[in-house]
Amino acid sequence: MVAGAAGRRPGRPFSRRTRRGSRVERLAPFVLVAPAVLIIVVLRLWPLVLGVNFSFTGDGDRNGTSVGLDNYVTLFGDPLFRTALGNVGLLVLLLPVAVAIPGLLATLIYLRVPGHRVYRGVYFFPAVLSPVIVGAIFNLLLAYDGPLNAVLGGVGLGPVDWLGDPDVAIFAVVGVHVWATFGMALVVFLAGFAALDPSLLDAAKVDGASLPQTVWHVIIPGLSRTIQFVFVTTMIGMLTSMFGLLFVMTSGGPEASTYLPEYYIWVQQGQFNQPALASAASTALFLIMLVVGLAQIAVLRRAGREG
Amino acid sequence: MKQRALWSAALVLGLALASGCGSATAPGSSGSSGDKLVVWDWKSGDANVAAYLDKAKADFAKSHPDTEVEFVAQPFDQYYTLLGAAIQSGKGPDVMLFNGGGQLRDRVDALVPLDEYVAQDKQRLAGWEAFTRDGKTYASPVTLQGHPLYYNKALYEQAGLDPEAPAKTWDDFVENCGAITGKTGAKCFGVGNKEGIGIQFFLSSVGSAVLAPQEYDDWIAGKRNWASPDVKRIFELWKQVNDAGLNNDGVNSTAMFNDAFAVFQSGKAAHIIGLMSDIGHWKDFAEFLDPDDVGVMAAPVVNPAATPSLPYDGGIGYAVAKWTKDPKVAADLVRSLTSSEALKAFYADAGAIASDTTIDVSAGGPAVTTITAGIKTGKPALHVALSSKTVDLMGRLSQQLLSGSITADEAVAQLAASDKAS
Repeated sequence: MVAGAAGRRPGRPFSRRTRRGSRVERLAPFVLVAPAVLIIVVLRLWPLVLGVNFSFTGDGDRNGTSVGLDNYVTLFGDPLFRTALGNVGLLVLLLPVAVAIPGLLATLIYLRVPGHRVYRGVYFFPAVLSPVIVGAIFNLLLAYDGPLNAVLGGVGLGPVDWLGDPDVAIFAVVGVHVWATFGMALVVFLAGFAALDPSLLDAAKVDGASLPQTVWHVIIPGLSRTIQFVFVTTMIGMLTSMFGLLFVMTSGGPEASTYLPEYYIWVQQGQFNQPALASAASTALFLIMLVVGLAQIAVLRRAGREG
Repeated sequence: MKQRALWSAALVLGLALASGCGSATAPGSSGSSGDKLVVWDWKSGDANVAAYLDKAKADFAKSHPDTEVEFVAQPFDQYYTLLGAAIQSGKGPDVMLFNGGGQLRDRVDALVPLDEYVAQDKQRLAGWEAFTRDGKTYASPVTLQGHPLYYNKALYEQAGLDPEAPAKTWDDFVENCGAITGKTGAKCFGVGNKEGIGIQFFLSSVGSAVLAPQEYDDWIAGKRNWASPDVKRIFELWKQVNDAGLNNDGVNSTAMFNDAFAVFQSGKAAHIIGLMSDIGHWKDFAEFLDPDDVGVMAAPVVNPAATPSLPYDGGIGYAVAKWTKDPKVAADLVRSLTSSEALKAFYADAGAIASDTTIDVSAGGPAVTTITAGIKTGKPALHVALSSKTVDLMGRLSQQLLSGSITADEAVAQLAASDKAS
C-alpha cells in the first residue's frame, strides 16, 4: 500500500521513498507466506527430519545411541514387515478392480439406468461413514455365524471364515475398504462424464455400437485423465487409510496375513515400545508414499499438459 | 483485507492449538509443578471407579493436605503409545497405571523402584510378582488378574451332570463335554483367538494341569524348557480341542473381547477361560446368567504329576516415574491408591478381585468365593512371564496351529527362539 501510494506520485523528490517502497514490495510476499512456510517447516518438515534421524538410534538399552542401519536390517529381516510390504504389492494388484467398480457404476448412472438418481446417493453414502463404524458393521456381517454365511448356507454353500482364514481375510478387508470409499471415486468419475462430449456417444449409437463397444471405444478413451487421477488417489487411500478397518476387523490377523506398514508401525511403537524401529518403518512407508506421490505429480502434470 | 487477515490469524491459531492437543505431553497434563502430582491412567474417567478415587484421594490428603492430585484418563488403546512418548521426552505424569507383566517390565528404565516405600504393604497385598523385575518392585498392585475356568452350572444340570462336582481329570472333562453337547447343543469351550488372546488364556489355565510343579516354577523363574514334552503337550491340546469340535466355530475370527464371552453368557458354551477383574469375569457373567449358575472349577488334570492351581498375577498397579520431584510423596500416593478402604470400593463398584487379600468377598456369589479361595495356592500365569513379543508371536502361531499350517513342534521351536532372544 505504501508502494502504491508512492507509485501514484512519481517524481525525483520521491525516488528514495520509491526505492524503499519497492524493497518493501519485494519483501512483502516473503512476509506474507512466512506463516504458512513456518507452519510447514516447524510442524511438518522438522518433525520429519527428527523422525528419520531417530530411526538411526536404538531402542531399549541402546536408547539414544546411534546404531546406523540396524533398525532397517531388523525391519527387512522381520517376516511381519515383509508380509506388510507384500500386502502393499497385493493392493497395487487389486487397484484396477478398485478403480473399475466405481468406473462401471458411474457409467451406468451416466447412461441413466432406471433409478440412477437413487443409486447416485446410495453409492456415496458409505463414504461418509467412519472406518470404525464400517468395520464394526462388517464384523457382524462377516462373522462365522453371521448373516452372510447364513445366506451362503441357505443356497447350499459351506460357510467361509471371512476374517479367520488367512487366504481370505485380506480380500475381505480390501473389499470392505473399496465398498466404503468408492463413492468418492464415483463422484470424480461423474464429474469426468460431465465433461465428456455427448455427440460422440450419439455418433456411436447411430453407428450401432453395443454397450460394451461404447464403453471400450468411446467412454474409456474420453475419460483417460479422470481414470489416471482416480488410480493415483485410490492407491494413496489404500496405503494410508486402512488402519481403522484393519484395527477393527482383523487386528492384523489371522496369522498376521492382513498386516500393512501403517499397522506394523503402530504395533512396534504402541505394543512393543520400540519407537526407533517404528520410526524406521515410518521412513520406509514415507519413501513408498513418496514414490507414489511423485508418480501422482507426474501423471497430473502430463494430464494437465494434454488438457 | 482486514477480514482476510483476521481469518488467517484464526487459522494459524487453530493450527497451533490443534498441534498442541495432538501432543502427548500437552501442557496441564504433565510435569510436576510445585505441589501437584499428575496421575495417568485409563480408568479415572469411568463412573464405577469414582468411589475408589475419592477414598484414595481422602487417604492421601490426610498425610499430604497441600499436595494437589490430578488424574488424567487416557484412552486405553493409545495409552502405551502416549506413555512411550512421555518416557521418550523424559517428562510426563508422576504416577502412572500399568498392566502387570511385559508392559511394565519393558519400561522399568523410566520407573522408581518402590521397595523401600511399600515394604509395609507387602503382606496385605497380593500380586507383586507381575510388577517386579530383577528383584525390584516397580508398582503396587491394585487388582489381581487371572484366568479361572468358569462353567455354566445350568447346562451341567440339563445334561444330567452334578454341577457341584465338575470333572477332575481331562478325560472325564471331555466326556462331560460330550454329554453337554449331546443334551443341550452347547459347545464345550467358548473361545476367541482373533487377537491371539485365546491361546494366552488356554496356556495359563490348562498349563497348570499339564506342567509338573517344578517345571511350572522354573517357567515362571525364566528357566523355560521349550523342548519339554509337557510344554509341547499344551500346544497339541490346543489344536486337539479345536479339531475335536469342542470350541465354538470360527475361533480365529472370534474376538475374545467380547464375542467369546457372549458365547458363554448366552449359554452356547458350557465353559470359558475368563478373567478375574475388569471384564469377562464373574460379575459380567452374573448379569446374563443366574449368579448361582456361574461356577469356577480347577483345570482338569492332564498330567497326573501336575497340581492345578489358579493362574493369576497383579492385574493393574501404580508406578512412580523417575522424573518426579519427590519420589517419597509420589510413593505415598501409590500407597493411598492401594489402601484397604480404596480397594474395597474398587472391588465393590468396578467388579474386580482387588489385590488386598483382607477384603471380605462372601457376598459376591459362589464364583468369586471360589476364586478368592484359590489365591493362596495360586501361581503366576504362564503367559504373563513371556515377553510381549513372544506373546504376540504365540498368538500368530496359535492361529496357524488351528488352521493346520504349522505343527506343534514347529510352533514350540519358534517360541523357544523368540523367548531366548528377548
